[in-house]
Amino acid sequence: MYRMILLDRVTKSYGRDDKPALNRISLHVEPKEFVIIVGTSGAGKSTLLKLLTREEKPTSGKIVIGGIDYDQLKDKHIPLLRRKIGVVFQDFKLLPQRTVYENIAFALEIAGMTSKEIRNTVPKVIELVGLTGKEKQFPHQLSGGERQRVAIARAVVRQPKILIADEPTGNLDPKHSWDIVRLLEKINKYGTTVLLTTHNVEIVNKLKRRVITLEHGKITSDQAQGSYRQ
Amino acid sequence: MGKKKNQEPKALTQGRKTRRRWLTFVRMCRYGVNNFSRNMWLTVAATAVMTITLLIMFMTLVARQVLIDTVNEIKDKVDMSIYVDTDTTADQAAAIKDAISKLPTVTSVMYISPEQGREEFAKQNKGDIQTLDALNEATNKLPGIFRIKIVDINDPTELNNFVKNNELYQENKDPDREPSFQGDRRTAIETIGRWVEFAERGGLVASVVFMIISALIVFNTIRMAIFNRKEEIQMMKLIGADRSFIRGPFVVEAIVYGFIAALIATGLGVGALYALKDRINEWVTISGTVDLVTAYLGLILLAMILVGAVIGVVSSLLATRKYLRI
Repeated sequence: MYRMILLDRVTKSYGRDDKPALNRISLHVEPKEFVIIVGTSGAGKSTLLKLLTREEKPTSGKIVIGGIDYDQLKDKHIPLLRRKIGVVFQDFKLLPQRTVYENIAFALEIAGMTSKEIRNTVPKVIELVGLTGKEKQFPHQLSGGERQRVAIARAVVRQPKILIADEPTGNLDPKHSWDIVRLLEKINKYGTTVLLTTHNVEIVNKLKRRVITLEHGKITSDQAQGSYRQ
Repeated sequence: MGKKKNQEPKALTQGRKTRRRWLTFVRMCRYGVNNFSRNMWLTVAATAVMTITLLIMFMTLVARQVLIDTVNEIKDKVDMSIYVDTDTTADQAAAIKDAISKLPTVTSVMYISPEQGREEFAKQNKGDIQTLDALNEATNKLPGIFRIKIVDINDPTELNNFVKNNELYQENKDPDREPSFQGDRRTAIETIGRWVEFAERGGLVASVVFMIISALIVFNTIRMAIFNRKEEIQMMKLIGADRSFIRGPFVVEAIVYGFIAALIATGLGVGALYALKDRINEWVTISGTVDLVTAYLGLILLAMILVGAVIGVVSSLLATRKYLRI
């Protein structure tokens, strides 16, 4: 069966003598699934996401994303892989000197899309994330929630198969946090696999989605409609 | 026909690739220029440092040229002297002069007879009554002097051989006065010779050292500027930008710094040279350098732009390399 994300006994150690950040974890995620990954700081969530975006290489084990086996992936093809994965960060990571429109268009420009294609696509995504009218504003002129919407728009504008959201509500108030979560659900409904890491107990428990819990680099629970207690 | 059909899609793909490359290049340039205009304080700082760097380079080269011209002028003024007895006849003097001027390393010879020497001495001391009185009372015991200029003041070997071997000179030489390139005067001439060498070699070394230091300062400024934006680079990588697409705008930005800095530095440098030439000319020989700068102004500007751009490009390539691994 085709799996969107497949990890097989993956270990990641940063130093020879240190405890591994991830210790022989195996998991699979189906296409169009919405998966929440929870765990305390240092549990290995960030390491897991870095392995998925190929910022880090595993010490051992196998990773296959969207049919691409990371063992076979050459360095020069990493940018192509990353264009198939949308990533959203807690601190937004927008280009500060570029407008909302330019930030979103950037993701298409690096893929070599024509100006006409960009002009057709970007406004639709801006509408999807509810930022119509803010196209010419710079990130510092927006609220935290709006900045995260720009980041999400940039992540989904290329219609990736997977969207990885690393603590996207970490810097937001409850109202804006829910706006972002609803937006992620909407994107998931259109067919994108979503991987969300969060500390927010309320969001995890209300969403009633699959929840994977990481502790000390190991998966301690994997529930289909899970909950989370800190 | 079938062959043609197969070729068409290939040509189309190639055309699309070329179009994409061109699009990417235009976008990199646009981002570079945008970064330049939108990061105002960084732009001002980097352009200022680059301007100072290019100005230092320009001034170093000008200073070297001025030093060489000045020392060369002094060198031209230095002549060597050979002395003959007061009783040497005009014919004998003419024969010796003729023999000296035939030496390949000699560029000019001038003979000052004892009478001319006496007149010159009187002219030089016309305010000094006591000396003039002494001169009037004394019999003329001044020697005849040959003032000789040679190609290289560090190498008077040929003249030395002439002094030792020329019979006519030996017959008429002044027994009390050594030729100037022997004995005490030789040291003075050698010192001047060493200054000429120092101006040429030392000037070159100083220019190179200054240029390296300046280039390092620019490199560090650009490195700081890029360090400030390392998160931006990290983000671009995670979105899937190619290394060249990330690096491109930084390189374009550095070229713009270099271009603007070259214009300002050339303006300031040449302006300062023109403004100060009259004042400086009192101490050193600057007119040759000013003429040189005026004649090659376009070329100098072009070279400055090129140097600025090259330093900028190399610095930004080295500085971004660190952040572009995987």
